[in-house]
Amino acid sequence: MNLSAISSIILATVRMCVPVLLIALAELYSERAGMVNIGLEGLAAIGALAGFMLTYTTGSTWVGILAGAAAGILVNMIYAFATVSLCANHTVYGMAINLLAPALASFIYRVAFGNGSSLMQVELMRGIGIPGLKDIPFLGPLLFDQTPMVYLTFALVIFTSVFFNRSKAGLNYKSVGEHPKAAATLGINVTGTKYLSCVICGALAGIGGAYLTTCYSTTYTEGIVSGRGFIALAAVIFGRWTGGGVLLACLFFGLCDALQIRLQVSSLGVPYQFFQMIPYVATVVVLAIAGSKKAGPKANGKPYRKEER
Amino acid sequence: MEEMLRMEHISKRFGSFYANKDVNLTVNRGEVLTILGENGAGKSTLMNILIGLYQPTEGKIFFKGKEERIDSPSQAVKLGIGMVHQHFMLVEAMTVFENIILGDKRSKGVFIDREARRREILELSERYGLDVELDKLITEIAVGAQQRVEILKALYHGAELLILDEPSAALTDIEAEGLFAIMHKLVDEGKSIIFISHKMREVLHISDRITILRAGEVVTTVKCSETDGQKLANLMIGRELSSSQYEKKQAGGQPVLKLDGVRYHEQSKHNGLAGITMEVRPGEIVGIAGVDGNGQTQLAQVITGVIAPEKGTLSLKGKQVSVFDPSDFIENNVSHVPEDRNLQGLVGDMSISDNLVLKATGSGRFSKGRGLLLRPKAIRSHALELAGEYDIRCTSVDQDVRSLSGGNQQKVILARELESGPELLVAVHPTRGLDIGATRFVHDQMIEARDKGVGILLISADFDEILEMSDRILVIFEGQIMGEYSGQNPPIQEISLAMTGK
Repeated sequence: MNLSAISSIILATVRMCVPVLLIALAELYSERAGMVNIGLEGLAAIGALAGFMLTYTTGSTWVGILAGAAAGILVNMIYAFATVSLCANHTVYGMAINLLAPALASFIYRVAFGNGSSLMQVELMRGIGIPGLKDIPFLGPLLFDQTPMVYLTFALVIFTSVFFNRSKAGLNYKSVGEHPKAAATLGINVTGTKYLSCVICGALAGIGGAYLTTCYSTTYTEGIVSGRGFIALAAVIFGRWTGGGVLLACLFFGLCDALQIRLQVSSLGVPYQFFQMIPYVATVVVLAIAGSKKAGPKANGKPYRKEER
Repeated sequence: MEEMLRMEHISKRFGSFYANKDVNLTVNRGEVLTILGENGAGKSTLMNILIGLYQPTEGKIFFKGKEERIDSPSQAVKLGIGMVHQHFMLVEAMTVFENIILGDKRSKGVFIDREARRREILELSERYGLDVELDKLITEIAVGAQQRVEILKALYHGAELLILDEPSAALTDIEAEGLFAIMHKLVDEGKSIIFISHKMREVLHISDRITILRAGEVVTTVKCSETDGQKLANLMIGRELSSSQYEKKQAGGQPVLKLDGVRYHEQSKHNGLAGITMEVRPGEIVGIAGVDGNGQTQLAQVITGVIAPEKGTLSLKGKQVSVFDPSDFIENNVSHVPEDRNLQGLVGDMSISDNLVLKATGSGRFSKGRGLLLRPKAIRSHALELAGEYDIRCTSVDQDVRSLSGGNQQKVILARELESGPELLVAVHPTRGLDIGATRFVHDQMIEARDKGVGILLISADFDEILEMSDRILVIFEGQIMGEYSGQNPPIQEISLAMTGK
């Protein structure tokens, strides 16, 4: 493999990693408050549509990103209300989101743009080079000549690490996922934190979806999220419920994705579906190896009832 | 004396059930007030009201002379009320330090100022002799140390009134002594303590005044110096408790259980059996005395068919067992009151009535077609009958077993195990965590079963229980039987020594 091949793989890895990373961070914030939200796929789908539509109508990708966040939050409130206030099962409602949101997105798309075959297209967010850093030979153009969304996402990883490890608010937040009753006895607002986690989760997952239609692909297609929500779920487990760990996990999945695209192009004669499988197979393998050892937040997925005897 | 807390006419209702009814109590500054009551008397509910977890249905709370509405835990913390719960409220995945500062509202700033916080905590810990290692994870420290963390946490959050809910239940005797020393120091410094316990010896040792709670209501409040254990026990359970002298018996007949050279994981001193030979005859209670963790768990598991011995034989009613499977043992009328009632004995999320028939779902009485179709009516009426007979205190037999108090949970198990017509009963720590009344009830039931001809193997780490109940006493140490003694006038000194391996 020559240098340009390597650089194109790195470039693709970063590009592939970002949406998964955003969605995985969404799940990280959710699970740290004890909310196992498997509805990421759906949240990202509705985010992708909202991002596309608002970018298409306003011409601004930033408006699209914000719309994605808003749509994600809105849909996730269904999950939040059912699981936090009504103590319903997390898995059931997460799955409900997964069934509802993508279908809703497709429906809205057809209502808005009709059934025609002409693909609506938007202009993608432009990359901004960071002066100085982007001139570093080889790595510079790869890492520091990206869209602002890439920088923001990586900044969010750093923020997340600092938040959970250094700040008082982060410590209190984590305690809700570990032992909500203990948190409550110390005057921490458990219900409020859980709702907050759902807002953050909806927003980030929605942005992750919107990233796909504002920075990645010029159009919205059905199934555009293509399993990233589930890979993100795996990334949180693989990443041991920490910001840094999630980043590494997502880079690994991004690398698998980049490799499979590379292989698809270069190996003729092998059915391309075979290569497309790689990221998903990697997910299964990784989960099998890393999944069982250390369970995440202790009260993950358990309802919190205030006056339980 | 200055008054710290006064609760007036407090009631708390769950559905139609009053957990507390018209409760009045006061706590003065610098005193230890004990709240004494059986399991389910409403002690924990009352305390949860005080710390803002529950809202009282009626009543007023005065703290330092001012009427206060404690509508949230943070309000209680702000007032200066701290509680050490019976099941510790500690986040296991966090360090001691993180647990103490959790929810801190006093210090400003976004980030944790570790240096300053550590200094504050260490100062407190020195002042009250609360020795803790700040950087260890909660899972890495012993139960006694976890308790000190809880107390330190409450003090750090500014508690002036400290509630200790059955603090000694999980402690060894030496750890408990340490706890009492800390409590003395706290009241000397002007803090007040509400102490919840039903261990008479401790209560008399540490309290200034004692408020007795029964069935959710205050019976009376007495000065510690003016009462004694017997009086307190009578007030607590509401009737005269006869002295507990059970008649010892000598049984003959063919043994229901016989172990011969049973070995299991011999190399492990604390979790193995190193050649156990013993027998249990019908109509006798054989007590296994020993310090916890000398193979008792494994012994019970072998005898109930959960694990198979590696060497040696086990016979039930003279027939050697070749397949070790719990269902075979159940069919051979072996009943089991397991060590951990929540883990092994009951399904917490199932109702009382369902738990009562768990072992008998295949019988024609409770189902058609060997368990194909259950007979809900028969199951329910069976449950109602047993609830009455075994004094299971519940609002309904459809209630989840999880929501019962420990004593009542144990009664559910006992009812199921004794109703199945056992010939051998294996009871492991049958009264652990139970109050006097429930303990007495369990003991009475076991004696009654013995007198009906059931062979009982009693495994207990409570030496007093062994002495009181056993017709024969065997001492287990590191997986071996150290000796056999008669239950009639047993040589206590000798047995104690045997328990330590001498």
